[in-house]
Amino acid sequence: MRQAGRYGGECMAAGKAAGQTFKDAVIAALPRLRRFCQGLAGNAQDGDDLMQSTVERALARAHQFVPGTRLDSWMFRIAQNLHIDGARAAQRRGHQVPVDELPETMGEDGRVTLEGRSDLAAAQRALQAIPDDQRAAFLLVVVEGLSYREAAEVLEVPVGTIMSRLARARGRIEQVVGRGPGAVQ
Amino acid sequence: MSDDIDERLAAWLDGALSPEEVAAFERELETNPELARRAAEWQANDAFLKGALAPLAETQIDRDLLKRMGLAEPTPAQMAANDNQPFWRRHALPLGGAVAASLAALLLLAVPQRGAEPDALSLALDTTPSLTATRLADGRTIEPTLTVRAADGRWCREFRDGAKTALACRGDKGWTIEGEAAATGPSATDEIGLAAGGDGAALDAAYRRIGASDPVGQQEETALIKQGWSRR
Repeated sequence: MRQAGRYGGECMAAGKAAGQTFKDAVIAALPRLRRFCQGLAGNAQDGDDLMQSTVERALARAHQFVPGTRLDSWMFRIAQNLHIDGARAAQRRGHQVPVDELPETMGEDGRVTLEGRSDLAAAQRALQAIPDDQRAAFLLVVVEGLSYREAAEVLEVPVGTIMSRLARARGRIEQVVGRGPGAVQ
Repeated sequence: MSDDIDERLAAWLDGALSPEEVAAFERELETNPELARRAAEWQANDAFLKGALAPLAETQIDRDLLKRMGLAEPTPAQMAANDNQPFWRRHALPLGGAVAASLAALLLLAVPQRGAEPDALSLALDTTPSLTATRLADGRTIEPTLTVRAADGRWCREFRDGAKTALACRGDKGWTIEGEAAATGPSATDEIGLAAGGDGAALDAAYRRIGASDPVGQQEETALIKQGWSRR
């Protein structure tokens, strides 16, 4: 078992116990990982596929996890990297849903319109209207509650980049679901 | 609105400003109605999206998905290992749904011409997985239902043969019938049925006499067939 290597010299039973402890920690992190993955992917099926790939990679690379650091953040990073890889492979990176292709999300108060449909579907549509890098920052900070520094570590960018991505993401979301001068008429 | 103000607004919403920066920004909010409107808008959008996504982290992750991710041990095969009753008394086949779902593949065995009935039966018992019907050259159809091991090391199989159910054990000269009983259970193989047929008592005696183990699983039975029942 890979994890046993971290505890070199210890008996196999200890290695298995450590491996099980790692798996238990992964299981504990799954609910938030699932939400993050579905937020990135835009739907439940693709999100769960992404979560499964993330967990498989995390288990295969358990020896790379640094004890004392946040397992959830480490898995968020794996998920984000896999998502980007997948997007590149599909030549979809940077793809945005043009606001003018989302007529049903707009109106006098787009948010009310969205709430009249499924909240989750509406939220997913809004998230899919922003670029991947902004969406990841938004999900990590606003939804998962990470600090700017933690989000910067997950996404491997400077803290200032997180701040600007969040501002742009919110501006874009305002265009999609909000009203006022920023709203698309 | 400038990028700088947008970024400070975002940081204010996220609690990422220092106390001094918070105080300065809130003074700006009081004097700038458009900024205040936008702050309220962004705050509402944040709350809406966060609330809409919240249930995703509350739904239980089912065991099948955990298994696919390598996070749950597979459920052990439900073998007849319970000591309340000998397995042949229980009204369930031991090989589970996977095998039960396969089925009724009728195979016409090529029996050597010199083969009298015992040879044809032996060949069928040697090569037919449980819950698969096999047609012998003489027109009979038999259907093995389970495999056990006798106390003396022989492999034994219960099988359905028309209106009867029998238990046979494999020796050096082929399979020998150890017991027979009338079969009244379902003959179709697409359901979990009565393992030992209707007259359980007759086969009970045979099972007791040979000192039968619990039935082997599908994987082990497949290996035995592949290896010609040579494993001891």
